[in-house]
Amino acid sequence: MATEPIVTIRNLTKVYAQGEIQVTALHEVSLDIAAGEFMTLMGPSGSGKSTLLHIIAGIDRPTRGECHVQGVDVARLNETELADWRNQNVGFVFQTFNLIPVLTAFENVELPLLLTQLGRKERRRQVAAALDLVGLADRMHHLPKQLSGGQEQRVAIARALVTDPNLIVADEPTGNLDAHSAEDVLRALQALRRDAGKTVIMVTHDPKAAAFGSRSVHLEKGELTNA
Amino acid sequence: MTIPAFIIKNALRNKRRAALSILSVAVSLFLLVTLQVALRELTLPPEDVGAALRVAVRNKISLANLLPARQLPIIERIPGVESVTPFTWFGGKYKNEEGMTFAQFAMDAKKLRKVFGEAKMSEEEYVAFENQRNACIIGRITAEKYRLKRGDRITLESTVYPVTMDFQIVGIYSGTVDDRNMLFHQEYLDEASGLPGMVGMWWMKVTSAEAMPKVIQRINDTFANTSAEVRAESERAFQLSFISMWGNIRILVTSVSSVVVFTLVLVSASTMSMAIRERFRELAILKALGFRRRELFAFILAESFGLAAVGGLIGIGSAYLLYTYGDISKLTSGVFVVFEVTPRILAFASLVAASLGILASLLPSLAAARMSVVEGLKTLD
Amino acid sequence: MALPLKYNFRNVFVRWRATLATVTGIALVVAVFVLVQSLAVGLEKASQNTGDPRNVMVARKGSTAESSSQVTREQSRNILYLPEIARDARGRPLVSADVVILVNLPRRDGTGEANVTVRGVTPMGMDLRPQVTLTHGRWFNPGRREAVVSQKVARRFAHCDVGGRIRTGGTELTIVGWMDGDNSAFDSEVWMDADEARSAFDRDNYSSLLVRVADTNQMAALAKRIESDKRASLRAEPEIAYYSAQTRTAGPIRILGNFLATTMSIGAIFAAMNTMYASVGARTREIGTLRVLGYRRRSVLLGFIIEGVILAGLGGLLGCMLALPMHGYSTGTLSFDSFSEVVFQFRITPWLAAQGVIFAIAVGFLGSLLPAVRAARLPVISALKAV
Ligand SMILES: Nc1ncnc2c1ncn2[C@@H]1O[C@H](COP(=O)(O)OP(=O)(O)OP(=O)(O)O)[C@@H](O)[C@H]1O
Ligand SMILES: [Mg+2]
Repeated sequence: MATEPIVTIRNLTKVYAQGEIQVTALHEVSLDIAAGEFMTLMGPSGSGKSTLLHIIAGIDRPTRGECHVQGVDVARLNETELADWRNQNVGFVFQTFNLIPVLTAFENVELPLLLTQLGRKERRRQVAAALDLVGLADRMHHLPKQLSGGQEQRVAIARALVTDPNLIVADEPTGNLDAHSAEDVLRALQALRRDAGKTVIMVTHDPKAAAFGSRSVHLEKGELTNA
Repeated sequence: MTIPAFIIKNALRNKRRAALSILSVAVSLFLLVTLQVALRELTLPPEDVGAALRVAVRNKISLANLLPARQLPIIERIPGVESVTPFTWFGGKYKNEEGMTFAQFAMDAKKLRKVFGEAKMSEEEYVAFENQRNACIIGRITAEKYRLKRGDRITLESTVYPVTMDFQIVGIYSGTVDDRNMLFHQEYLDEASGLPGMVGMWWMKVTSAEAMPKVIQRINDTFANTSAEVRAESERAFQLSFISMWGNIRILVTSVSSVVVFTLVLVSASTMSMAIRERFRELAILKALGFRRRELFAFILAESFGLAAVGGLIGIGSAYLLYTYGDISKLTSGVFVVFEVTPRILAFASLVAASLGILASLLPSLAAARMSVVEGLKTLD
Repeated sequence: MALPLKYNFRNVFVRWRATLATVTGIALVVAVFVLVQSLAVGLEKASQNTGDPRNVMVARKGSTAESSSQVTREQSRNILYLPEIARDARGRPLVSADVVILVNLPRRDGTGEANVTVRGVTPMGMDLRPQVTLTHGRWFNPGRREAVVSQKVARRFAHCDVGGRIRTGGTELTIVGWMDGDNSAFDSEVWMDADEARSAFDRDNYSSLLVRVADTNQMAALAKRIESDKRASLRAEPEIAYYSAQTRTAGPIRILGNFLATTMSIGAIFAAMNTMYASVGARTREIGTLRVLGYRRRSVLLGFIIEGVILAGLGGLLGCMLALPMHGYSTGTLSFDSFSEVVFQFRITPWLAAQGVIFAIAVGFLGSLLPAVRAARLPVISALKAV
């Protein structure tokens, strides 16, 4: 397994300015994440876990410092480049699943592929493969409301990996699930790393969930406690 | 905090939605007032002073058929008739205009004031009109439209007679119900057309309102079974017969008005219910806090009614201001002249606005009544 | 890269409760627009559908209506033997001298009276207007006070059934038949014998001449010859052109239609805006998700505009469907050209229906523009923050 870092973070600071009050969500964070890692990010509520994840995924921008993902300084990209970059390089899994209610499982997974040059047949093949990987090949034509929470989240994972990004990030993916469904989801994430060699970064509050990862990092008041 | 303060705060919570609701109500009510006023003007033309004493006589076949001038002395002898003038449609086209843009009538200048009463025009102008063969007077609106003034010469080509005639403007009148027409001498027309002995209509003033029915009867009887049978009627009846010619246009405007009202109710009601749906959560919280149904209804109704009232005020108010203080004949290029927003129309439009406010609150009230607290708290989107 | 259309379609339908009122509102606006314009179209069609390409209409110069035109018998005799004029098998020139009189008749429903055009025609005049056919009864006999009424007029005016009598001035006419003008201006007329009409209504002169040319290339030559007689002061123009120009009544109706459409569309735009803003508000997280997946701002913008357009387009189609049953329905009003009742039909042409839908789409576009901009401006972060 490769050990060179896929994510390099240096002196990253994020300050939210809410009128007069300034909230420092991250303070001078430096961190390397190696390719093929399943890193879990833990810490108390409000410690800046989501913020860090968002910056890595190109959803939010840092106030100061650098964040290189596969050699690209994400903060330097403009809105449009960033959108394309996200599509090709990161898969994002949300706590609230965020499937599009009007689209079937198949169509939800196909959605990011519509942004690529792939033809209909090739898309179909990839969507089927992704759903297969999360064990939902038989639920392709169900709408989100016809799926259980755990199934919805696995569809979301299939959607995150369908464009074959190297990096999968997940923010409390099991936060809204019961223990059994949570395990399904965690196994699916684990399989991604093991079988497809993806790098996975997961935020969680649950030590049991963290046990599925290969490394755990702790944040406290916007600073790393054990990098 | 008081309950009314809470209601106002709530209504303005989504300022954009409140503004859109108010504006759509305003636009619709503006349109409603406009249509009502237009309909009233189309169906009930404004009455001129002295109309109660005036009688119009036309050829029984139709207005387009002429009458023999020899009827004049016969009519003048009928008891109760005070003064009679011919009134002949000239149908002239001015300059290079495609069609007619204002009406011209040939008449007896000396009878002008006797039959039609005093307009706002100086004595000097009246006298000049009576004494000059090719003189004409025009209404203020037409004068302004073509920038005409006293002393100007104008040329009109008739679409009815095979003539083109020159006139000199000796007076500009105003203060009548329709300050657009042009008047000139019947003798001048007879001379120019080479067809003396025929006039368009007779208009007369009778001595009293009581004499009117008798005069009308006498005139109709006198010319029955002659080569030119006539129809004499009061000025009002004559105007109304004109309106009857519009045919189904009236029904059209009426049905359009109803469609507008319906659309308005529909759109505003949906907007309002959307607003309420948006805060189902709050309503559920209120319910959980112990507010009763009746209070929730009052709450929804007050908000809905308030939005409708403000929208109505803006829409009706702006229509009122525009049509009362704006120059409507200029705006509609002469199609409408008076465009009076009557108290009746104002009341009707306000009533529509008020019912709208009530109606729009029905649907959300129903939903709010049925909503359980748990369900409401769960409603996230 | 655009979002798939099915996504937009399903979103419109999934919120049908919220969109129904807006769709119906837009539908009603479009229906009003289409109906009012279809009146104008019907009026124009009725006059444009009149005339034969080989006929020339001769009337007094300066007169705008046939009823106010005069052609003397001498003038008519002079024209009769002009060389350009066609002749029938027996060598008679194909010329008809008509008398047109406006007659005030009571309406059938008792709502008052209106002017109706009575045309005195010669047998030749009937041959020159093959559009007109008899549908009930028989044609009038020359020398008798008989008339044939267009069936569309008959349905609108009292005493116009076959066998009925209409009284006008000192004259009484017996209705002996109904005719059909094939949706032309003749649908608004009553026909009788020309000479009978002249004596009944005490006319010396004719109102107009209808002339058939032997060769359509000679139309201009004939017109020039007739108009060159300055003393007569007549005007000759192709019958088709004469009738096509009679569209003044349609003008105010058009204006009314446009006024209504403009004002009502402002209301409709507000409604569409409201619906779309609500949709954007409810789907904040969904929009964020799309952005996280890599959709660009302009895809989101376009997506919401497309949804607004679909919404309004549906309203437009519905509006056309609401208006459609009125197609062909016969109605009447005062013609500004002839100063008499013109009977015509609501005409919803494909182009008019298309205009209605385009109009709706414009409403949808304008109504969804601001909400779409708002959707596109939402920060990506909202995918995770919004409830
Ligand atoms: N948009 C914002 N504006 C202002 N402050 C913000 C904003 N987003 C986050 N913060 C603040 O930044 C800090 C870190 O937030 P973050 O969401 O990263 O925490 P977290 O570790 O993910 O917490 P949790 O476990 O509860 O999800 C918090 O104090 C939060 O209040
Ligand atoms: Mg978080």
